Amino acid sequence: MSTGPGGEAGFPAVTAAAAGSDIRRRRRPLGERVFRVASPYLLLAPAALVIGAVLGYPVYLLTKLSFQQYGLAELVTKKGTWIGVDNYTRIFQDEQFWAVVVRTIVFTAVCVGLTMVFGTLIALLLARLGRFMRLLLTSGLVLVWATPVVVAVNIFRWMVDYEFGVLNWTLTKLHIGDFLNKDWFADPTTGFAVITALIVWGAIPFVAITVYAGLSQVPAELVEAAEIDGARRWQVFKDITFPLLLPIFVILTSLSIIWDFQVFTQVWLLRDGEPEEDYWLMSVYSFVEAFRLGEYGFGAAIAVVMVCFMFVATFVYLRQMIRIGDTR
Amino acid sequence: MKRRSIGALALAAALLVSAVAASAGSSKPDRQSATKIVVWLQNDAESGWKQVVTSTNDAFRAKHGDVEVDVQYQTWGDHLTKLDAALAGGTAPDVVEFGNTETTRYMASKLLQDLTTQTKSFPNSSTWLRALKESCTYNGRLYCVPYYAGARAVIYRKDQYKAAGVKGTPKSLAEFQAAGLKLMKKYGKQRNYSALYFPGRYVWASMPFVYDYGGKIAEKKGGRWQGTLDSPKAVQGLTKLKQIVTSLSRANKTGDEANPQQSLVFSKGRVGSFIGNGWEWPYALDKKVGNPSLAKSMGAYTMPSHTKGKSMPAFLGGSDVAVPVTSKNKSLAYDWIRIFTSTSSMRQLATIGKQIPNTTSLLSVNAKNPQLAPFANASKSSFFVPTAPNWVKVENAKVLQNMLSSIFTGRATVKSAAKRASDQITRILNQPTT
Repeated sequence: MSTGPGGEAGFPAVTAAAAGSDIRRRRRPLGERVFRVASPYLLLAPAALVIGAVLGYPVYLLTKLSFQQYGLAELVTKKGTWIGVDNYTRIFQDEQFWAVVVRTIVFTAVCVGLTMVFGTLIALLLARLGRFMRLLLTSGLVLVWATPVVVAVNIFRWMVDYEFGVLNWTLTKLHIGDFLNKDWFADPTTGFAVITALIVWGAIPFVAITVYAGLSQVPAELVEAAEIDGARRWQVFKDITFPLLLPIFVILTSLSIIWDFQVFTQVWLLRDGEPEEDYWLMSVYSFVEAFRLGEYGFGAAIAVVMVCFMFVATFVYLRQMIRIGDTR
Repeated sequence: MKRRSIGALALAAALLVSAVAASAGSSKPDRQSATKIVVWLQNDAESGWKQVVTSTNDAFRAKHGDVEVDVQYQTWGDHLTKLDAALAGGTAPDVVEFGNTETTRYMASKLLQDLTTQTKSFPNSSTWLRALKESCTYNGRLYCVPYYAGARAVIYRKDQYKAAGVKGTPKSLAEFQAAGLKLMKKYGKQRNYSALYFPGRYVWASMPFVYDYGGKIAEKKGGRWQGTLDSPKAVQGLTKLKQIVTSLSRANKTGDEANPQQSLVFSKGRVGSFIGNGWEWPYALDKKVGNPSLAKSMGAYTMPSHTKGKSMPAFLGGSDVAVPVTSKNKSLAYDWIRIFTSTSSMRQLATIGKQIPNTTSLLSVNAKNPQLAPFANASKSSFFVPTAPNWVKVENAKVLQNMLSSIFTGRATVKSAAKRASDQITRILNQPTT
């Protein structure tokens, strides 16, 4: 079965080459055999080197920092004091940390859920639209995607502004209630509703366009056959479209989790650079400890823990992704 | 299978990127060259007394010919975060302004140039305001130069007070509240009207209530700091504050005094009074952003205490200028500071900026001017933040802001919000100094 859209043509060639080498193996000289074994690694090496340099080294530094007492004075002398796992012990004893973790997980779950549902719905809509409307909607999605985060935050900030916000004005004019001088951030629930709306709004285009690309690869005959057998729209989606696109959904969900788990800019800017504790997500918590309180070592430890959480969260998906590959 | 491995690789790479992003700091300022000095001033100077900066730079260039002065204006919210990053990256400015509550940690960490041996070379050094000089002194050494001081007073609309039937200016907190209620009765039908415009996170106008009722932010007992905002007296002050703010203000309870600038909100007409610094008065009348027609109807008075006839203790704010140890142009930096804090600059700062200059020899300039007198009076009975080296961390962590916003929005009771803030203050102040 196809694992996703396009690219199937590459496989037979590779397989044929592999088979060919099997047959001729004994006759080849040693040097060439070594080269054949090593060549994939050689080809991978430049990319691996770049990743190691630009990602591996900073991560190494971050991890090292997390085992040190590193404050303002150390920042200037550039020499920290090794304190073992003290920073980590402090994190796990901090009540606030657990509150922040729970908040971050719930926030991520809500954001990812809404993004996937709305993204998929819009993709299904795209597949059924006429050419002009599809073009219009796609352009809209791309524009949203192209909007820089800081600009988007400012737009949302003005829309929900306490005094001049268009949202309060509209809701009042529609007689939904008296929303004049409604402060959306006074209550963290409504505050997070605004933040979630901003995140989901920004994340939908990527999901919608990717799922739409996937949908265009679902064989029309299969859907037609199912419909002839009397399947309803929902059943077609559940039993045909969804299983076919599962790898795409898995990767989109994983990526969304990674993105939403580390949301920082939106919260930080919407709260004027001084978010109340009710708005602290893990990234904000780490930033405040490191850069506001000058506890760089402790902040680094939080960042490391955050990365571990993300690995755990996405590990399940990674495994499943590889398993899908094995069985099909 | 293979494409999925690629997907897995991409996923792993994305994870790593996020780890790096989580550890990345803020941007750094431009590299300095030998023919330029970089000066960080707070944006109060930009909106309040830019002429002082301009004339200082002119005088400096006249003396040093080819040396450029690059003044970069900073905001109070994040200037220390930026400074820390710049210090680490070796790109810190040559002259930097500190709030007088922020200096201790930097002096204790030996990040500021020791100026003790050349104290005498700075103008008026023998008559510097004592409170400011103290904020520049650590273990008997001098690390910065006093710049200005300021205390807040009530800036109000005389015409509205008169029309609402308020006679004279309030002499006690009870009278202040009664006057406010009269204003609300007269003008309160306008949805955005506030008799007292008081944004929820306005720390420096809130803490006076705590001190007026005999409370304190923190105390040092037997070598340990103890947050005391949850003491009965402090809670009494905060409760009174909540009562006044909820009945007289319709400002954003989770906003602060700088976004939007409260004097500009005042200039739009739907505000009876606000608690502000001297420079905010002329800013409200600014031709471009304010409303010059209010000139005749504006007045100021010192915030009254709950004890009739006394004034409420004001927070003695102020600023100092210092030279980071990393500066490569130290003697140029000292010279710029000398011009910036000269008698003529300070005189301008008092008249244009309506602040209290750094020297007692110029205090008469303020006392003679009826517009400045309420602010000068406010500074006579004043309080200061706890002098712990870690105090600035309490400010950076926005502990007081968060407490106030949860009190005013009703997210927490006064008592529980104060208890929580107090515990945080205790924890932060007793951490080892870094």
